[in-house]
Amino acid sequence: MGIYTKEISNISDKSSEQLFQFAVSDDHQAEETAYSNYSYWQSTWKSFLKNRVAVFLLALVLIIVFFTLLQPYLPGQKSPTEIYLDEQTGSQARNIAPGSEFWFGTNSIGQDLWSRIWAGTRTSLLIGFVVALVEVVVGIAIGAMWGFSRKLEAPITQVYYIVENIPTTIVLILMSYILRPSISTIIIAMCITGWVEMARFIRNQIVILRDREYNLASKCLGTPSYRIILKNLLPYLISIIMLRMSLAIPFAIGSEVFLTYIGLGLPVSEPSLGNLINEGRVLMMSPDLRYQLFFPSIVLSVITIAFYIIGNAFADAADPKNHV
Amino acid sequence: MGELQTKERVLSIQNLIIKFKLRGQVLTAIRDISLDLYKGECLAIVGESGSGKSVLVKSIMGLLDKNGYIDQGQILYQNMDLAQFTTEKDWLKIRGKEIAMVTQDPMTSLNPLKTIGKQIEECVVLHQGLKGKSAYEETLKLLRDVGIHDVEKRYKQYPHEFSGGMRQRIVIAIAIACNPKILICDEPTTALDVTIQAQILQLLTNLQKKYGLTTIFITHDLGVVAKVADCIAVMYAGDIIEVGKTEEVFFDGKHPYTWALISSLPQLGTKGDQLYSIKGTPPNLFKEVKGDAFAPRNQFALEIDFVERPPFFKVSETHYARTWLLDPRAPKVELPKALQAFFEEGRRLANEK
Amino acid sequence: MLKYIGKRLLQSVFTLFVIVTIVFLLLRLMPEEGYLGAAADKMSPEQQEIYLTNLGLRDPILVQLGNFYTNLISGDFGKSITYRQDVPVLDIIADKFMYSVSFGLGAVALSLIIGVPLGILMAQMKGRWLDRLGTGYIVFVVAVPAMVYYLIIQMYITEIFDLPMLFDEYDPISWVLPLISLALAPTASYAMWMRRYMVDELNRDYIKLARAKGVKERTLMFKHVLRNAFIPLAQYLPATILFTIAGSIYVESLYSIPGMGGLLVDAIQRQDNNVVQGLVLVFSSLGIIGLILGDLAMALVDPRIKLGKGESVR
Repeated sequence: MGIYTKEISNISDKSSEQLFQFAVSDDHQAEETAYSNYSYWQSTWKSFLKNRVAVFLLALVLIIVFFTLLQPYLPGQKSPTEIYLDEQTGSQARNIAPGSEFWFGTNSIGQDLWSRIWAGTRTSLLIGFVVALVEVVVGIAIGAMWGFSRKLEAPITQVYYIVENIPTTIVLILMSYILRPSISTIIIAMCITGWVEMARFIRNQIVILRDREYNLASKCLGTPSYRIILKNLLPYLISIIMLRMSLAIPFAIGSEVFLTYIGLGLPVSEPSLGNLINEGRVLMMSPDLRYQLFFPSIVLSVITIAFYIIGNAFADAADPKNHV
Repeated sequence: MGELQTKERVLSIQNLIIKFKLRGQVLTAIRDISLDLYKGECLAIVGESGSGKSVLVKSIMGLLDKNGYIDQGQILYQNMDLAQFTTEKDWLKIRGKEIAMVTQDPMTSLNPLKTIGKQIEECVVLHQGLKGKSAYEETLKLLRDVGIHDVEKRYKQYPHEFSGGMRQRIVIAIAIACNPKILICDEPTTALDVTIQAQILQLLTNLQKKYGLTTIFITHDLGVVAKVADCIAVMYAGDIIEVGKTEEVFFDGKHPYTWALISSLPQLGTKGDQLYSIKGTPPNLFKEVKGDAFAPRNQFALEIDFVERPPFFKVSETHYARTWLLDPRAPKVELPKALQAFFEEGRRLANEK
Repeated sequence: MLKYIGKRLLQSVFTLFVIVTIVFLLLRLMPEEGYLGAAADKMSPEQQEIYLTNLGLRDPILVQLGNFYTNLISGDFGKSITYRQDVPVLDIIADKFMYSVSFGLGAVALSLIIGVPLGILMAQMKGRWLDRLGTGYIVFVVAVPAMVYYLIIQMYITEIFDLPMLFDEYDPISWVLPLISLALAPTASYAMWMRRYMVDELNRDYIKLARAKGVKERTLMFKHVLRNAFIPLAQYLPATILFTIAGSIYVESLYSIPGMGGLLVDAIQRQDNNVVQGLVLVFSSLGIIGLILGDLAMALVDPRIKLGKGESVR
């Protein structure tokens, strides 16, 4: 071994006799650890804030949601369903290009596109939120039973295999076909297929977590089950639930567009983003009228992309592995 | 002692400081370490979890996690300073070819989709320059070397068809197949059953002799150390606090942490008495450590331990310890009875040999 | 191996049987005008009743179910009501089947060829511009409803490259756009999965050991990571053909391709119950076959799965 004398010379001049006495032992100091001041939610939030795009989109979504709720009460807004007449001719003010009177123009029967878009956004967001909420509640309930109850495990698994085997799209079509279009039936049709994924997810997580050593340890120490669920499982699951919810919203909105396209959507009197896009699609062959397709498409894209990115950013942030 | 001077120095770590960035803070994992490794020797690095053993060897192979970096110091190997290596091309000259590693967990260290034969052969082809039939033969020979029977059949099997101990033999075979000068064993027996542990250790010692390897053994198990090591370096909180030949550290340890480690061996306890345990916990490496890192937990701590970092005091040509207790001005320390008895018995046995 | 396949097939036949039953029962809830067709307006309620009774729709439900099974086994899916009056549903579907399957398989093949390498490159260049670009593409395609970008493609790409707007069987160039449109979504999924699996695999211990033994990063990627990352993808591969169903419904009707997706839209709009029912059964069967193939592919590629034991809820 090499000889390490540098420090010896360094110290000898300033050292004094009293330094070489036994120190008073201090148990408290020995126990002092504080590896790091780690808090799960704080770290999650911090990581999320680091993702500037997601933060921006979150703000944007909040503004959009707030605006759709507020818009009908603002001054100078037109009705989304009233058919406006041309003052000079008295006929319907059809396909008027965007301008100062009609900000986003009018559609083919003379309705104001600006207010229709916000009314449509309101409908689509409502569908999205309700479907996501039901999906999460039903999914968690069934997933939890599936994961925890030994009796229910086999039957639910069988049901799952069957439901999983039918393409989601087909179930969606079938249900909407049977249930005649309206907001509530569209929501029901989407919920029928939506819970499956969520339940499977929750179930798998519960099964994985249930058998993890730290939960086994808790159980051995006599921790009651509800406490294990509350303290060990739930915080972990919340991130997954948030992710699923924020992904369910764009999916529900997209499904509404799909159903409208195949003729199983909401009636035209009920503006929704799906309806508006479908109206715009019919007119897309004439370049002058394409604004009727663009405006709703842009709003739709912004909302769905925003939710998707926020969801993913949150899931990333909630993963302890990324808390470096 | 004289023979050591003539020994060839293979690897020399000088004033190495390694830091990690974690949640916006900087953690110092290795605090100014110097260490030499001589040819043919088996060095054991001992310390509790988090003392920086693994980080130290990972830095030798350029396998530090992405948020870790070498802040200062050198790692000298054959006129190269590994601390300066940055590109993959640089490291490929070292990894496998010069330094190979046996990892901790054999259950996850093998590619589940490749037959074990192929995984060993990959190294043979890469580092021994053999091809085709001769590479295959060499692989079979290696399998036999690590104590696997029925090698032709085993060659074609996948990792999941092997038990933990067998897999660790495969991992060892992979390391040997590289034909390295230095073999690093990172807690090679921690994940194994006690009975298997002994077999693997025996295998490693045999192979070391057979291939003339220089070995670095990382472990927190003093029993393992006693079996295999020529030299011991004791690490605490990212620093080497005592180094020396195995019997020197074991039977004439000078640092209070070494004493504490040995005292906590269950064999030293007397029936009915409480087993000795080191009180407190290792220091927070996010903060700058002042003086001797072990001082707050040290029942023999001096005032100066809280002020100045102790230098290496020389005990013998091969034995150094970083503790102020070795300073001529320090008061004399009465060791616990059990430890004294252990030291005496150890020295007596060593002399008899 | 054969035993496993046999068992898996038997299981699937059972599942299919249950699905068929559920679909049948659900379809009894379908609007009854769907059975009357164009004649509905001319008939009085009594006449309608007689007509429906003649169709067997007033029989006890179990009898109906029994008839339904016997018809199914003999290959009788009923007759079309409004779409093409009195033509057997099976004949109508048979005409359309090949178009849908060719487009479906073509789209999956195309998306594999592009999506998998894209995912690999993205994993390799994690955090760099290609990764960002690819992620942008994935986010757009996955989040935004397909309708929007299908329309953009049909509107502008046709204009820019002077491509036909509608499908013509005998004009090969008219296959291009529908195929690309259909491939967009699966390409994004494959790229996303491949990237994720690759990144996951790269963090595993055996990769650390492979690095420690001096394997080049490139070799590591292709010889170790790639195959391991491809396995989870291989399992879902056949099932992903189903992904194209929703897409095919849009694309086929947008480009007037005479396939099953377009047929479904037509049948729904004309309320042709029997055609809807037949299509649902065909799509479900395809789904089940896809899942079986996925399991078999998985069993073939992954040595860890001992056939017959590899059952778990995915």
